[in-house]
Amino acid sequence: MNVSLSGIVVQFGKVTALSGVDLDLQAGEVAVLAGPNGAGKSTLMSVLLGLVEPDAGHLFVDGVDLLEAGTRAHRHFREDLGYLPEAVAFAENLTGRQVMRFFAMARGVKRSKVDDVLERVGLSDARSRAVRGYSRGMRQRLGLGVAILSEPDLLVLDEPTGGLDQQGLSLLWDVLKEYKDAGRRVLMSSHDLTLIERRADCVHILSAGKVKASGTPDMLRRLAGLAVRVRVELQDPSRMEGLAGSLSEDLMVPVDLGEREVGLSIPPSALFQMFRTVESQDAEVSQLRVEEPGLDAVYERLLEAP
Amino acid sequence: MSMRVAGALVVHELTERVRDRWVLVVTGLFVLLASGIGLYGRAAEDSAAAVTAPSLVTLCAFLVPLVALVLGHDAVVGERERHTLGLLLSLPVGRGEVLLAKFVGRAIALSGSIGLGLGSAALLVQGGQRQVLVELLLPTMLLGAVFLSLGMLLSTVARRHATAASMAVALWFILVFFYDLGLLGALVATGGAISNDVVTWLVAANPAGLYRTTLLVQLSGTAALEEAGILLSLPGSLVQAALWFGWIVVPLAIGALLLTRRRAVTA
Repeated sequence: MNVSLSGIVVQFGKVTALSGVDLDLQAGEVAVLAGPNGAGKSTLMSVLLGLVEPDAGHLFVDGVDLLEAGTRAHRHFREDLGYLPEAVAFAENLTGRQVMRFFAMARGVKRSKVDDVLERVGLSDARSRAVRGYSRGMRQRLGLGVAILSEPDLLVLDEPTGGLDQQGLSLLWDVLKEYKDAGRRVLMSSHDLTLIERRADCVHILSAGKVKASGTPDMLRRLAGLAVRVRVELQDPSRMEGLAGSLSEDLMVPVDLGEREVGLSIPPSALFQMFRTVESQDAEVSQLRVEEPGLDAVYERLLEAP
Repeated sequence: MSMRVAGALVVHELTERVRDRWVLVVTGLFVLLASGIGLYGRAAEDSAAAVTAPSLVTLCAFLVPLVALVLGHDAVVGERERHTLGLLLSLPVGRGEVLLAKFVGRAIALSGSIGLGLGSAALLVQGGQRQVLVELLLPTMLLGAVFLSLGMLLSTVARRHATAASMAVALWFILVFFYDLGLLGALVATGGAISNDVVTWLVAANPAGLYRTTLLVQLSGTAALEEAGILLSLPGSLVQAALWFGWIVVPLAIGALLLTRRRAVTA
């Protein structure tokens, strides 16, 4: 299934929620929508899910524009789609198992699979309890279970990390890995870019209804041009002063200086020059660490960019 | 229509209603009141058609529309406010079908409550009289279905749950209380100048009025109305069937149309 959105425009009265957004969902890829509140992340997901009708644009699935083809075609597309909404909620008076059985019946999944999925999301012990007694994290796990129940080709997760503890996050990472390995697609939104950084294949940064930047985390880092932090530790502390002196160029700003260690903030393009400078000092390096800027810092920089 | 998803939705609705404390309390109250009427009719040693059935008709004419409106008014707007509508509509099912499935599930639950209430009263009257009360079942269920359908229409029109609730209560007051009073007032004010045909159609235009009038005429004859100077010739059974059908289908169809045409259904 090839899924892409192009030129999506959504207007709510005088407010432009989305302004010509393009998005391609590749097989075996976890795509992440990032952006501040009101950037249009949930609206874009709603367009994909058929919950919001755009004013303009196309939603192509295997070459067919579902926005042209009508509701029946979109309904067929939803057969192979799993969704976890932000702040997921269920009928409070039903038990976790009853909720899961309903979705299993609706999605044509065998009833026997319900308990397996409940076990997978760590809710076996709570399956007979009413949802009203579930914590936020438990509801999120139940929602994730509902989303993956029919093993759909496309998983749409709106802020899936909210409320999840470490165990819940591990479960989420496992699901994402399975999807990537199986060549399926995941579209998720998240505020916590540090958390999802290692799992994202492609990040789309939205701001005021427009895509400000798209690419792999590494591509976005390059685009942001943020300095990397380098820590150099020398075997011989007496060589530290000489090294620090040679590094005091514009491109290599020492940010802290210890007895044996110097911390630098330098642009990625100056890394090679830095290595050569260190080498030229003929000092024995006991440790050298390069820390790339976090995706959250990249995101902040790209959002600020005009 | 995806029968699989629609079937699942009906079962889901029904399960939810069966576990809904409010539904259980209202059913209990209905059973209690209907049983009380049944016991009173039994003690009066009169025929069920003379005492028990008219009292039950009056009880149902007030209670069933209210319960049905309350049951229907949050079907869509309540799901939206609880943030459950998006997940529901992400299933491979049309919006109109979701509304229909919700209606069917809730109508079954409502009919169950009505059956329990009237059934408990029927159990308390003399054996030979039970048939009279059993015959109330279908019209009462139809009355419930009409107001449930109206409630669901309100649920698709309203943007907020509180608005839908206010509209439901207002509709109940208008159709169950004020409509008949207004009609009587108009008759008195005009000194009976309104023709019987017009009165008949005005009665038939209100489902609560038609329910009450048809059953009371069926049980006690037209003598009481004639004494009040009202000569009603109620529509025939085919027309009545068409009216009941229309009252159920039209609000649901409008609701489905509104829901389908809404651009942002979860907003």
